[in-house]
Amino acid sequence: MRALGHRAGRTLLLLAVLAMASSLATALGIVSVSMGKRVAEEVRKYGANLVMVPESSRLDVGSGGLNFGIVSEPAYLQQSRVEEALAKSGVKIDRSVHLRGALQLKDADVMVEGVNFAEVRRLFPWWQVNGAWPAAGEAVIGNDLAAQLKLKVGDTLELAGAAQTLRLKISGTVATGGEEDGLLFLEVSELQRALGLEGQLSLVRLMVTAGGESLKRSAERLQSLYPAAKVKEVRQIARTSEGLLAKVKLLMLLVTAVVLVSAGSSVAGTMSTTVLERGKEIGLMKAMGGTRWEVMLIFCGEAALLGVLGGLAGYLFGSLTAQFITRTVFSASAEIIPWFVFVSLGVSLFLALLGSLGPMTSVFKLDPVKSLRGE
Amino acid sequence: MLIRILKNSFLKRPKAVLLVFLSITMGAAVATAFLGIAGEVSHKMALELRSYGANILVEPAAVEGGGFLREADLPKIKTVFWKYNITGFTPYLFDVAEFSAGAKKERGVVAGTWFSKLLEVPDEESSVQGIRGIAPWWDVQGDWPKGPDEAIAGASLAKRLGVSVGQELQVSAKGRTQRFRICGIVTTGGYEEEQLFAPLVTVQELLQKQGKISRVQVSALTVPMDDFGRKDPAKMSKDEYEKWYCTAYVTSVAKNVEEVMAGSRAKPVWQIASAEGALLQKLNSVMLLLTILALLASATAVSTSLMASMAERSPEIALMKSIGADRFQIVTIFIGEALIISLAGGIVGYLVGDQLAELISRSVFNSTIASPLWLFPTAILSAFAVALAGSVAPLRRALLIEPVRVLKG
Repeated sequence: MRALGHRAGRTLLLLAVLAMASSLATALGIVSVSMGKRVAEEVRKYGANLVMVPESSRLDVGSGGLNFGIVSEPAYLQQSRVEEALAKSGVKIDRSVHLRGALQLKDADVMVEGVNFAEVRRLFPWWQVNGAWPAAGEAVIGNDLAAQLKLKVGDTLELAGAAQTLRLKISGTVATGGEEDGLLFLEVSELQRALGLEGQLSLVRLMVTAGGESLKRSAERLQSLYPAAKVKEVRQIARTSEGLLAKVKLLMLLVTAVVLVSAGSSVAGTMSTTVLERGKEIGLMKAMGGTRWEVMLIFCGEAALLGVLGGLAGYLFGSLTAQFITRTVFSASAEIIPWFVFVSLGVSLFLALLGSLGPMTSVFKLDPVKSLRGE
Repeated sequence: MLIRILKNSFLKRPKAVLLVFLSITMGAAVATAFLGIAGEVSHKMALELRSYGANILVEPAAVEGGGFLREADLPKIKTVFWKYNITGFTPYLFDVAEFSAGAKKERGVVAGTWFSKLLEVPDEESSVQGIRGIAPWWDVQGDWPKGPDEAIAGASLAKRLGVSVGQELQVSAKGRTQRFRICGIVTTGGYEEEQLFAPLVTVQELLQKQGKISRVQVSALTVPMDDFGRKDPAKMSKDEYEKWYCTAYVTSVAKNVEEVMAGSRAKPVWQIASAEGALLQKLNSVMLLLTILALLASATAVSTSLMASMAERSPEIALMKSIGADRFQIVTIFIGEALIISLAGGIVGYLVGDQLAELISRSVFNSTIASPLWLFPTAILSAFAVALAGSVAPLRRALLIEPVRVLKG
């Protein structure tokens, strides 16, 4: 302790570099951990990664505006069974329900889709709605369909279904560049009543947050919970997202490694320099009868103390830096990860000891007489 | 004299010099590697994101079905203003057809397309275009079609028809029939699973639509949409329009493509385009912040290690002073030392950093990186700057020291 207090300037310098190195480790570590999560969240904006359709139906979902509305025998999913399967699966899932059907407008059929607009807004952030999101008794219409039917926002139209006729006011138009441009959207419960299909759905889009278990396993689990449905992976979204996440993580890992190795060696170098210059001191201790062990213990104790202090300071500072980065970039706070204290302590201790042990062994070889004489 | 002092100062204490040299090298290497990657990363990431699929869809302008685009217009896509941003495109010609294999019959969609076609464009580099380029997520069991009568069947279509790889099926439409050998089966989880994909020429022949296509998917590198990009181009002033046209927004690239395809309408696929923009922006700013962090860290690491090595030399300075050296001479000696070490460290660091950037780029993106030329002088100059910054403080303190006190110990 005395030794540290005596050379306050030097101690402070060492403390600063150790803290810097370990805060760098903490900051980079936390950022790369939360990067994975944040990017996973960002990638969700690409849309659902699983779809659930009735076993017998043909799959005509997709993106890129390629839909042909293949008319086959309609088949439906039971909404209650879907809810049940989702609840039982224990997988973290966000979903949106869809019911496709045709309603009669004057004499022509119009393709309509019943959705839950709250779910749509959450799962499909790319919908560009011109006008307002619909309230009860209102609908949004796809851009192309609106042009085709010469409808505009504020118009009211009467649509006849098998069971009931609906009067809907158009609250907005939607453009996605996909098949949605040619559809009319209304609240799913209203469409179910109009078509006489209470509690039935034609498609459920699922957004499984990439967790420990792979998407495929989640799909299989859901499949087994609701055998009448077919659960499919949307490869365009799912595979690409997985690939992208892996790349981002690898990039962060490499970057962290590069920075840590270089800053670490620099810090260890600084430690060495300060130990090297203390050859005289060691010589004196030896001359006074200190054994190698005692001298080593004194120096290691000093280094360890510095390491612990530096590590703690580094953890605090590093967490702040990580917080700053995630806040500015993802406008979300990074979680405080308590076990990173050990990482930051570890880095700092390791560097401190590495920096002092190496040169110490060479100093030990010196003859105390020589080093005291200053040769 | 100066040179002799410097030479001796290096040779007599190789360990200390080596440590400083090492830390400068490391600092310069990190700086080089980071600056080298940071510039490229956004481009590489953008390319990476293109594997989400096409972000622009070109359709016939007529709202009602029935319109067609001309296949002859396709090569013009590679000659537009934004041609270097267009990473790939694929034409499609669709129609409903009867499929039969053995006794089973099904109605479905037959799609004529390019799988990977070598496209020769006069005055431009030839390129390979088609589905393989723009839809890397296609999971094809078997092979991609090579001959004109080979086709890929969607997984659920194949299941319903009971065909597998190597078998044949018949496609009839408008009274004509064509036999295809199934060379692969594709799983995507999307609408592709219901279709049969065959070479464009054959399908045009079958449907009697020579030279016609019904859709083009275009994959383009774009910049994220900002407030300006979201403005309606029709309401822009001339200058604004110019600026909009010359920024690679997905809308302006779409407009660009629309202009060369006769009778077409190009629209952004917002599912892909908007998510891509947001993601790119975030990745870029993370890289930027990390670069700043890394540069700051390596600068402090280097200057502290210089400080430590300078500080131990106050007796030396005191000695020089007492034998009559003036401040200028002392400063020249020490700064000269720092400069020589940092020059060597900067050069070695640049080389190491260049390799690091290359290594990272190769392992993450499977591609090489061309590190810009300006990085070399930058690496050396920044090594100089950091070395000077690290030496000034301890040197000034050392110069203020009373020689007598220091020499006495």
